[in-house]
Amino acid sequence: MGCELCGILAGEGKAVIIHEDDRAVIAVRDHVLTPGQITIFPREHAPILEMVSEDVLGHCAALAKAVSVAVFEGLGAKGTNILVRNGLGAGQNIPHFGIEVIPRQDNDGLNLQWEPKQLPEDELDRTFVLFKDEFAALQGQKEKPGAEETEETNPEEIKLRKTLPEEKMKEKEKTNYLLKSVKRIP
Amino acid sequence: MVDAPPELTEEQQKELEKKLKSLSPEELRQLQKQQCIFCQIISGKIPSKKIYEDPSCLAILDINPATKGHLLLLPKEHYAIMPQVPQKELGHLFSVSKVLSRLQLRALHVSGTNIFIANGVAAGQRAQHFLLHLLPRKEGDGLLPVKDTLIDASLPEKVKAAVQDRLAQLIGTKKVVASKKNEERSMESSENEMQTNVAKAKKRRSGAPARKKKVGKISLEENAEREDGGAAADPAAVLDEIAELFK
Repeated sequence: MGCELCGILAGEGKAVIIHEDDRAVIAVRDHVLTPGQITIFPREHAPILEMVSEDVLGHCAALAKAVSVAVFEGLGAKGTNILVRNGLGAGQNIPHFGIEVIPRQDNDGLNLQWEPKQLPEDELDRTFVLFKDEFAALQGQKEKPGAEETEETNPEEIKLRKTLPEEKMKEKEKTNYLLKSVKRIP
Repeated sequence: MVDAPPELTEEQQKELEKKLKSLSPEELRQLQKQQCIFCQIISGKIPSKKIYEDPSCLAILDINPATKGHLLLLPKEHYAIMPQVPQKELGHLFSVSKVLSRLQLRALHVSGTNIFIANGVAAGQRAQHFLLHLLPRKEGDGLLPVKDTLIDASLPEKVKAAVQDRLAQLIGTKKVVASKKNEERSMESSENEMQTNVAKAKKRRSGAPARKKKVGKISLEENAEREDGGAAADPAAVLDEIAELFK
């Protein structure tokens, strides 16, 4: 209800569907960053990336690749940006996961660059440890209530920690975070 | 940004472009690989902060990040742009992105993540190694200031008309064609095409190795003449023909 992308599937609005199959849809929305932008989204309503199954996500990625090729040729794009806006903080404005293919021209006025930051070395180390610990927590190897405490940990030690295959972490600790994320979506 | 290669002078740049134009796509890929800073990171010659690694990809911290926790996800194989990445590998990269996105949300207590890819210089691509930027986001952080605007109501139809044939061909092959080989061929040909495009070698008609290869490959069974015929000069006709083949 109220989801623009589901609305497109239902034939509402001015958007145009270019392709649809049993898993995903390719459409041109009427609200875009730049003309020619094409959106790929799962047929089934899924608010955020984390709720899209591997199979559907892979399929969407494949379609995004095809669209990327097609806009080079069909629209004479000089480049493409692929953008996923996942969560309010990331500028997501439709509560339905999607991959946007944004055709680019030289000097098209779109500014998707950012200012690279120069960080002190220890700042990077701290972020590194933060990630490594959270990674371990996701894998269920250990639980650290205060991630901040880990800032003192020797990064060299952390580096030695083995990373488990991603499959293991996929299954774990899904619920809490997902619930939280869903609530964030408009 | 870590993915900016060392700056070249104008002259070097020109020289380089000249050289690039004389290479075949395969040679070009080899050359890019040798010079690629990310290939050296992947092989361990340049140290990096590795957050995730598996046999086909590597995620590292960007040393000049857009924001704290900015990750770069790299396929270990060298590709310049997304159209060159095999489908399965691309799917895997998105799966890994999904895991890393969760990692960022939890570790950094941010309220969103972006997956961002730039294909081509016009799109802001600075690295010569295809990669995914994974950006932790907070409201009001000012990154990627994107704003959807309402476009002319007739535009979606125009966009559809401009891309649908090629798209149907690219996607249709996957569903209709029984043989996996054909699918790969079709994707490969578009990859070649894109690669030449990026290398700015496309205009060089005389050589046009990628275009020729593609024509030769695809229409092999149907029409061998095409290979050295006028097809290379008329891509539209070739595309139509390919579309026919896969119907």
